[in-house]
Amino acid sequence: MIELTDLTKRYGKTLAVDRLNLSVAPGEIFGFIGPNGAGKTTTIRMMGGTLSPTAGAVVIDGIDMAARPEEAKRRIGFIPDRPFLYEKLTGMEFMRFSADLYGVGDGTFLQKAEELLRTFGLFDWSHDLIEAYSHGMKQRLVISAALLHNPRVIVVDEPMVGLDPAAIKMVKDILKDLARRGTAVFMSTHTLSVAEDLCDRIGIIHRGALIALGTTRELKRLAQAQQADLEEVFLKLTEEQTLS
Amino acid sequence: MNGVLTLLKPRLWSFLNGNVARDREPRNIKWLLFGGIGFLFWAGIFTVFYRVLRYFQGVEGFGDILAYKLLSMVLITFFALLIFSSIITALSKFYLSRDLVLVHALPVSPAQIFLARWIESTIDSTWMVVVYSLPIFLSYGIVYRGGILFYATILGALLPFCLIGSALSAIAVVLVARFLPAGRIRTVFVFLSLVLFVILLIAFRMMRPEQLTNPDTFASVLLYFRSLETPGSPWLPSTWIYDSLREVLSGNRSGALFHLALLWSGAAALGYLMTWIAGAAYFQGFSKAQTTAERLLPSRQGRGAAGAWLLGFPSGPTRAFAVKEIKTFTRDQTQWPQIFLMIALIVVYLYNFSVLPLDKSPIKTFYLQNLFSFLNMGLAAFVLTALSARFIFPAVSTEGVAFWIVRASPVSIRSFLWVKFWVYFLPLAILAEFLIVATNLLLQVTDLMMILSTATVLLMVPGIVAMGVGLGAAYPDFQSENPAQAVTSFGGLLFMILCAGFIGFIVILETGPVYSVFMASLNGRGLALLQWVWLAISFALVILLCVLAVVLPMRLGERRLKALA
Repeated sequence: MIELTDLTKRYGKTLAVDRLNLSVAPGEIFGFIGPNGAGKTTTIRMMGGTLSPTAGAVVIDGIDMAARPEEAKRRIGFIPDRPFLYEKLTGMEFMRFSADLYGVGDGTFLQKAEELLRTFGLFDWSHDLIEAYSHGMKQRLVISAALLHNPRVIVVDEPMVGLDPAAIKMVKDILKDLARRGTAVFMSTHTLSVAEDLCDRIGIIHRGALIALGTTRELKRLAQAQQADLEEVFLKLTEEQTLS
Repeated sequence: MNGVLTLLKPRLWSFLNGNVARDREPRNIKWLLFGGIGFLFWAGIFTVFYRVLRYFQGVEGFGDILAYKLLSMVLITFFALLIFSSIITALSKFYLSRDLVLVHALPVSPAQIFLARWIESTIDSTWMVVVYSLPIFLSYGIVYRGGILFYATILGALLPFCLIGSALSAIAVVLVARFLPAGRIRTVFVFLSLVLFVILLIAFRMMRPEQLTNPDTFASVLLYFRSLETPGSPWLPSTWIYDSLREVLSGNRSGALFHLALLWSGAAALGYLMTWIAGAAYFQGFSKAQTTAERLLPSRQGRGAAGAWLLGFPSGPTRAFAVKEIKTFTRDQTQWPQIFLMIALIVVYLYNFSVLPLDKSPIKTFYLQNLFSFLNMGLAAFVLTALSARFIFPAVSTEGVAFWIVRASPVSIRSFLWVKFWVYFLPLAILAEFLIVATNLLLQVTDLMMILSTATVLLMVPGIVAMGVGLGAAYPDFQSENPAQAVTSFGGLLFMILCAGFIGFIVILETGPVYSVFMASLNGRGLALLQWVWLAISFALVILLCVLAVVLPMRLGERRLKALA
């Protein structure tokens, strides 16, 4: 469902992402972890079509992002790390705006939007301007809008930032449910417990390159730390790379 | 005081870092361009004032009175400008800047924060007024042989003059922010602008400027002189600076010193009062500003009237962006005052046409009416350029940090830009035609001029809008706290220069052929073959230019916006 081939991004002399090769299958939850500045957000943005790669390709559901960006984006539910929104729209208006962009018809919009806003605890505020929302509410609104068009791929950067424990549990359940129904989920996170709990496979990126890839068990084996949790595995692997 | 200086350092360092930024070369070009245009304005102001003062000097009897009256008017205008610009800057610096939450979390007192912000605000709001007042003072100094003491007085008087303006504005802002409900600070903008608009309009009507040039309308010459010699209010700081300059020019040093002392003591007293008020009220006002911004108009369940009719359109990106654009624009209260001011401009524009003394002109009225109508096409296009610079050029930048939504959406940048184009084209085209038809009716022009000017303006509007959208996309500023300021950037300047060139070319291309058609119809004869060819080529070029003005900027904007990724 998601194919990254030799994906590279260079900012001047800085190599942010270095020939990244990855594939995520339908129904899989893929966790993307790495230290600060490793290239996670850059990769996520290239996948979401908000940043063009220097080289390589992003293919979503068989569609090349560079060749047919609109069609590729239509299949993605993109959730950035910071929920910057149009502050002068209400929550419901933002949902309608998203529905119009992603081709959700007027017939199904209202029912779907209300359902999502209720699920995310925003329905009572749906006619208030977004500028009055808290950070967590904005984050929940972005997630609601991203799910409105039943995307085949979810690309999410730090999904749990700013959410309260109840919302975190809700998002985890929703992502699991979406994966069960065949949606591919690609998520970057710093919350290693979330990655360990949620992801089928995990990729560790460090200084722009993928240094490890596999299930939690495979990563533990790679780090020769069978009894350790993901945090220790992560620290060990990234430390080894830093020293080498 | 150390705390205040530390708080000012980020601003200073950011400014200095600007010179070592990666885009140093374009920055140098921008500085050169801005510097060049700024200097031209500066030199222009000097030339105009120098010539006017020289002329006044030659007028026996009351030339000096006129020169002093002019100085007094200039100083009052400067003071009003200082107050208005200081209020707007202070509101932003004290309560609306994004970094304030971080700054207030630092171990410094609110009084220190206030003082640091006030210094920044004073510099930001006064430097331009000071820079552009200097050529006026210089011309007075040269014409009236002011000498070194005159220039020293200016330097000594300008600083307290600016401090007084800035302190008065800061006191007003702090008091308003303390007593108005939180989140209503922006409402102050609306209120102030409305007041300004009403004052401007009433002042304009009461002045009857067309009669000011005609002393005959006064009961007697004595009355006319008296009206010119009326002293300003002794409570106005502009009167103190005026008196000190007048005294020094007439050689009365002690008088000048007295008025200078008035200025400085006034500034010191206001400074003390301001810090006292700020100490008592600033932090409370800031705390109030942190709560949710209330709207000027109450909330409505199922709101949507702003773009309800658009919901009848088939769903899709066009409707999405159009509805979003209209709603965010109409709900942004900071836009409203600008609209009021633009309406004031248009009212004044139309009023000017209604009072043109055509019948008193030695040139034939019929000829003059049509000449004005022709020139009015260019003037109306310039009015539209001003409107576009304020509302259309920043249209892409207003997406701000939410621009990721556009980038992540399944809509091409091209479609996004074209939606922006249509959203702004329709109202601007209607306004343009209203301006042209209204002024033509006031001028009672011929049918030919009516058709020509409405058609030409209709051709020019897409070009102006496309240049606004396209260049706004080519030079966006998504990080700005006030996207409307984008127009003061390099891109904004380029937009205005290109628009001026575009309008100028169209008018020039049409001048010759239109004159021959007009003269031919006036004399009751047909056009020669060569004139027909000339006419065809000119109008073909006009159409070509208008098409290029649409296509090229839109393409440039699309390319540059895509390249941002």
